Amino acid sequence: MAAPMLKDKGSLQFEDKWDSMRPTVLKLLRQEPVTRAEWQDLFWDVHSVCLWDDKGPGKVHKALQDDILEFIKQAQQRTLTHQDDTALLKAYIAEWRKFFTQCSYLPKPFGQLETSLAGKTVSSVQKKNSPEDSIVRKLMLDSWNQSIFSNIKQRLQDSAMKLVHSERMGEAFDSQLVIGVRESYVNLCSDPEDKLKIYKENFEAAYIEATEAFYKAQAPQYLADNGVQNYMKYADMKLKEEEQRAMRYLETRKGCDSVQKKSLHIGQIASQQFQLTECCVHVLVTAFKETILAECSVMIKRNETDKLLLMFQLLDRVPDGINPMLRDLEEHIKNQGLADMVAAAETITSDSEKYVEQLLSLFNIFSMLVKKAFSDDPRFLTSRDKAYKHVVNDTTVFRLELPSKQKGVAKTQPESKCPELLANYCDMLLRKTPLSKKLTSDEIDARLKDVLLVLKYVQNKDVFMRYHKAHLTRRLILDSSADSEKEENMVEWLREVGMPADYVNKLARMFQDIKVSEDLNSQFKEAIRDKGHGSIADCVNIKVLNAGAWARSSERVFVSLPMELEDYIPEVEEYYRKTHSGRKLQWHHLMSNGIITFKNKVGQYDLEVTTFQMAVLFSWNQRPLERIPLENLRLATELPDTELRRTLWSLVAFPKIKRQVLVYEPEAQSPKDFQEGTVFWVNQEFGLIKNGKLQKRGKINLIGRLQLSTERTREEDNEGIIQLRILRTQEAIVKIMKMRKRISNAQLQTELVEILKNMFIPSKKMIKEQIEWLIEHKYMRRDEDNINMFIYMA
Amino acid sequence: MADTGGDNGPGKKAADKMFSLKKWNAVAMWSWDVECDTCAICRVQVMDACLRCQAENKQEDCVVVWGECNHSFHNCCMSLWVKQNNRCPLCQQEWVVQRIGK
Repeated sequence: MAAPMLKDKGSLQFEDKWDSMRPTVLKLLRQEPVTRAEWQDLFWDVHSVCLWDDKGPGKVHKALQDDILEFIKQAQQRTLTHQDDTALLKAYIAEWRKFFTQCSYLPKPFGQLETSLAGKTVSSVQKKNSPEDSIVRKLMLDSWNQSIFSNIKQRLQDSAMKLVHSERMGEAFDSQLVIGVRESYVNLCSDPEDKLKIYKENFEAAYIEATEAFYKAQAPQYLADNGVQNYMKYADMKLKEEEQRAMRYLETRKGCDSVQKKSLHIGQIASQQFQLTECCVHVLVTAFKETILAECSVMIKRNETDKLLLMFQLLDRVPDGINPMLRDLEEHIKNQGLADMVAAAETITSDSEKYVEQLLSLFNIFSMLVKKAFSDDPRFLTSRDKAYKHVVNDTTVFRLELPSKQKGVAKTQPESKCPELLANYCDMLLRKTPLSKKLTSDEIDARLKDVLLVLKYVQNKDVFMRYHKAHLTRRLILDSSADSEKEENMVEWLREVGMPADYVNKLARMFQDIKVSEDLNSQFKEAIRDKGHGSIADCVNIKVLNAGAWARSSERVFVSLPMELEDYIPEVEEYYRKTHSGRKLQWHHLMSNGIITFKNKVGQYDLEVTTFQMAVLFSWNQRPLERIPLENLRLATELPDTELRRTLWSLVAFPKIKRQVLVYEPEAQSPKDFQEGTVFWVNQEFGLIKNGKLQKRGKINLIGRLQLSTERTREEDNEGIIQLRILRTQEAIVKIMKMRKRISNAQLQTELVEILKNMFIPSKKMIKEQIEWLIEHKYMRRDEDNINMFIYMA
Repeated sequence: MADTGGDNGPGKKAADKMFSLKKWNAVAMWSWDVECDTCAICRVQVMDACLRCQAENKQEDCVVVWGECNHSFHNCCMSLWVKQNNRCPLCQQEWVVQRIGK
């Protein structure tokens, strides 16, 4: 190598050298074999010319350009000889590929040219210079672009699109041809700002346009020929096909080497894919949105989940496309739910188990629909919840009449009876009943969870709380819980589903009270045994409960107790005073109960009775065979009239027993029909009949549903609910005012509902009334300038 | 009382009665023996624990205190109150504890 350098020294001008360089350059362009010596000489010559000849770099560049243009011209001629599109494409791609390969080789020997033209130091240029930024490469690509490409790009593009079109029509062809064209578009651009400019402006635009035109022609025809349901399959299939096709024919990820650029590049690609998809969705789905949607409600009714899923997937690509589907689903759940409830009204109104089962089965049906048809999409789940809530809180099948005595006018506002029935069902599961005995522990747990699930949708949860607490009271006092562990679990579950803490705490307190009472009992029995009252102590159990947690109403009913019990009570009170101080005791005989032994000539029976029943029956102990008129019984027991009548009715007409404990005359249809002179006597023929045979001994529970509620309690319960709502609303308003100091009416209403919604939804009317009340009592006032603004008054 | 008690008591004679008692479950409710059922300090009913005890889940221990003036409050509320002002919040008399509930 040293020899030629010395020999040629002094004649290193461009003109001297180009003649020896040119053949190699042309060979390289034509992809002809170049010997190692020729290749290395080219490096050397470029180097020498650029370093020794001041005007050398410019001249080399110019000469190179001429040769490249000349070469391209020939390539163009070769290509254009083909008339047939496929042949043209084939020829072009062959030429292009060859040329493009050379784009990576030819610039290599011209490294020094690059440096000289850039006028920079060798080291800094070498750092920056990547093959793609090479000036020679740019020269090559630009030349190609300007000459051959701009001349035939339209034909190329058209030919490529024709191929894609025939592929869409089902004809097979060499996909490499389209890919080849696309590659030339992608690689042609030498603009470093946007490498995909040429590709995007030409190939991509043409591709999308062709796609759109194709389906604009095809889709309506298909729809007309095959109907909507088949069309949906078609559209879905075509969308997927086009996405696949776009992956093949549109640029995906090529041509970038630096990490940063690459990521930018992918972003661009994603947007192109998106553009194509958007275009397809527009032509295939959006254009027929209304027609497709018209099928939705029918499909929901027919539970055609596969078709719905398809529709959902199609329309979910359209902005707001699924909104009408959501409305259809809601509409369906409301209509179907209510229709089913009304159809089953007869059974479900009388049977809370059936009612809850019906509600749950509806819930499961709807949930299954949402799962299968809409893949549990959150938007559809929300619609399900909204509509199901409507069904649960509906008042057409049955309602709970809540009195609202405002300003003396008694009005009722119907509410869903659902919470009451849920509470009843809970009671059936937690109490010792045929149902709870039949089910396994896991089944009971599952059903309790079901109750909580439905409860979530109930708006008037306070009604559930009230009834649930009443049932719990009854279970604890009558000791009729099936499983105390489940009882306490249920309390925790209620806490978990967001029941108000003070309510749940009271329930928890009830369990504590029962345990405390058990201890008290055993201590008391010890104490009284020492005093010689052992025998009665053995048969008496005392429950002393916290009035704050247990008492539902102020109602206490007086009854004259049998003597032995009347004597016993002061003993208890005295003992209690010794162990506690500052407490007063009130006896609630309405809640108390016991077992008495009834002996007659037929046999001997244990009767489980309320204390009222006990008091009535004990009236006969002094006069076993006498017929006693109603008024005398009232004197003996001191019970209020309605309670006495109810108690007597339970003893003369207890359901499902053949021989009643008491007999009476004259005949009556209801407790109200008893006359003052109606006489009652003990049925000496009373006996228990089992399997058609009279039993000499046995046990029967006569308490039934009597215990713990009087005629008035039910009405009072409902009034109590309203009273509590009023208090809760006032409390919540004050709480908000205290925090906000100043708040608009609308904001106040919103925050109020937020606080109260776990118990009930306050009516606009009630909110207004309570605001008025609070203003009247100077808790707050209206802003003088703005009637809709409230201000807190400390 | 003694007479009838002897006749009807659950002794041997009871066996002769048509109806005789085998078991009785009596129910009584206790409440603090107070004139006003709301604690004037914390505004919670005295039958419920004061807010502090509710929060700390010590409902069982939250008892009531009576002053010589016969006014009553939650014991926890009052013991905090007297640290600042040794007078009854209701009548302004000097606070002297009469008894504490148990």
